[in-house]
Amino acid sequence: MEFSKSMRIKQAKEYVAKKLGVSTFDLSDEYVMREVRESLGIGVITSVAGAPKGCAAKLNIEKLLDLKINCCEKFRKQLK
Amino acid sequence: MTTAESSKNELFDAIVAYNKDRVVAAVEKARNVLKPQEIIDALALGMNEVGVRFERGRLFLPHVMVAAEAMTAGVKLIEGDLPKGGGKEGTAVIVTGTVEGDVHDIGKSIVSTMLQCSGYKVFDLGRDVPIRNFIETVKAENGRMIGMSALMTTTMQAQRECIEMLVEEGLRNNVKVMVGGAPATQAWADKIGADGYGENASEAVSKANALLGVK
Amino acid sequence: MKKSQILDDLQEGMNDAAELGSVPALSSDELDKLAEILMTPGRMVGVETGMEVPVTHDIGTIRLDGDQGNSGVGIPSSRLVGMMFHERAMGADTMELGHIDYSFKPVKPVIANEMQAMEVVQQNMIVPILYGAMPNMGLYYTPDGPFENPGDLMKSFKIKEAQEMTEKSAEHLTRDMVWIMQRMMKAGADGVNFDTTGAAGDGDFYATLNAVEQLRKQFPDMYIETGMAGEMVLGMHGELKYKGDLLAGLWPHQQAKLMGKAGSNIFGPVVNTNTSKSSPWNLGRAVTFVKAAVKESPIPCHVNMGMGVGGIPMFETPTVDAVSHASKAMVEVAGVDGI
Repeated sequence: MEFSKSMRIKQAKEYVAKKLGVSTFDLSDEYVMREVRESLGIGVITSVAGAPKGCAAKLNIEKLLDLKINCCEKFRKQLK
Repeated sequence: MTTAESSKNELFDAIVAYNKDRVVAAVEKARNVLKPQEIIDALALGMNEVGVRFERGRLFLPHVMVAAEAMTAGVKLIEGDLPKGGGKEGTAVIVTGTVEGDVHDIGKSIVSTMLQCSGYKVFDLGRDVPIRNFIETVKAENGRMIGMSALMTTTMQAQRECIEMLVEEGLRNNVKVMVGGAPATQAWADKIGADGYGENASEAVSKANALLGVK
Repeated sequence: MKKSQILDDLQEGMNDAAELGSVPALSSDELDKLAEILMTPGRMVGVETGMEVPVTHDIGTIRLDGDQGNSGVGIPSSRLVGMMFHERAMGADTMELGHIDYSFKPVKPVIANEMQAMEVVQQNMIVPILYGAMPNMGLYYTPDGPFENPGDLMKSFKIKEAQEMTEKSAEHLTRDMVWIMQRMMKAGADGVNFDTTGAAGDGDFYATLNAVEQLRKQFPDMYIETGMAGEMVLGMHGELKYKGDLLAGLWPHQQAKLMGKAGSNIFGPVVNTNTSKSSPWNLGRAVTFVKAAVKESPIPCHVNMGMGVGGIPMFETPTVDAVSHASKAMVEVAGVDGI
């Protein structure tokens, strides 16, 4: 959010937390975020078979955070 | 009434204002109350202040150069008044350059410029300079100091090698060595047996002055 | 060091920054907090819960396989592997693709290679991926470029000519940076990181501001990060202005405003470490400068923390204590948005 909307750290955390349905403290809580990441399909650190990775995870992030991500746009344009 | 003190102040202020006309006028005026060497010393003090202001972002390189040009014009006016063979300190030769393998140029160029502005004859060999070239230039030009810059931890070793080569060539006792550049520190200078280290360009000039016995 | 020495040095470093940059001094509470952070036992310290910030990395892709001796550890690996390591194993919040030379100019002849590398990377990475390089305007002067070296011209008192060469170099540099980033955006880059902006002085800074402005116009959603090379913009030209502001002699808080005006999203302030002074002196100074930059910046600030900057000693593998204590201070006292 700092990059896409030039938000300062506090505002960026609040925005993301609200969109993900967690508190700002949760954003740095490995236990909470592991579940959130897995259930929303936005990428997990350990390699979980079948979990969205790379561009697939970014496509989910785009929707969740209401963002436009350049590489996702390019990816979509390449689909026939 | 013009006193020695007010003349010195006027010379100093004119240089710091990097105004050639003012410098020339101040030198003309000062000739009646100051000795030629005192005039040069006052101008040099002004140049030191210009260097400090450059480091602090109050003056910029073109201003430094205009001030140096003004000082040169001022000194030229009184050249004839100087005693012959008076041992003018400012003509010492310094050989500078960025060491072999290192293409960083700007910091070293600023130091060379500041040394030149302080009255030294500077042979700036540029960047990526083979160690041998420092030695050869010192020999050919009767250099009294080598100033080596290195911006990388990988290239700074060449500063040590140059000092070793000076020893091998039997030149070390006659040539002072200063080192600089981002990874260099006083501790590094001490470790490799350099005579001095400058944190910035104005410090490099004052260290060079001290090492070469110039005020 | 004794506590009294630490406090004295913090104060002295702070005064130096406040005087140089005409920025507010830290309060006595903030100085006490800095001292407390510095005296926190343990080699590794972290920020208080809730104060975590993101970390953006420059040159990370070549930090693993790079073997130039001072910025890489020489592990044979691809740039993609380097990026994935940083994302999955090292917790990097953004990464950048960078060329081994890490300057914009040499990217031109290998642009197709860089574009394909970006495409592959973007298929595999989740964190935002920027294309990163240094403006490095020195590459436009002789012997590397077409223009006579302004430093040499200055030494010959050819001031006007030197300024003209700087202006021409800046114009070329802007053009190259925009050209390269147009292509990298086509290849799916999320944006750009201009690293070590201003390394060649005010001309370099001027060229980058203009590139940022042009890119922002062409790509309204592009991520643009601009990090500095040093704490003050060196006046090599001395008269260049951007939107009416003289660039030479600007300090971090002033640079931040211009970067925001040009269209950057994130500003990376730099405060140089003085190797003749102590860590507390450097930290007091760095935090004072950066706090002012954070306060006056219209955009988030990610402070540069590493070898010889941000109150960290000049050493190619900076000590963990220095890095973690200084980073904590930057977050908790200077209030940075990231590192």
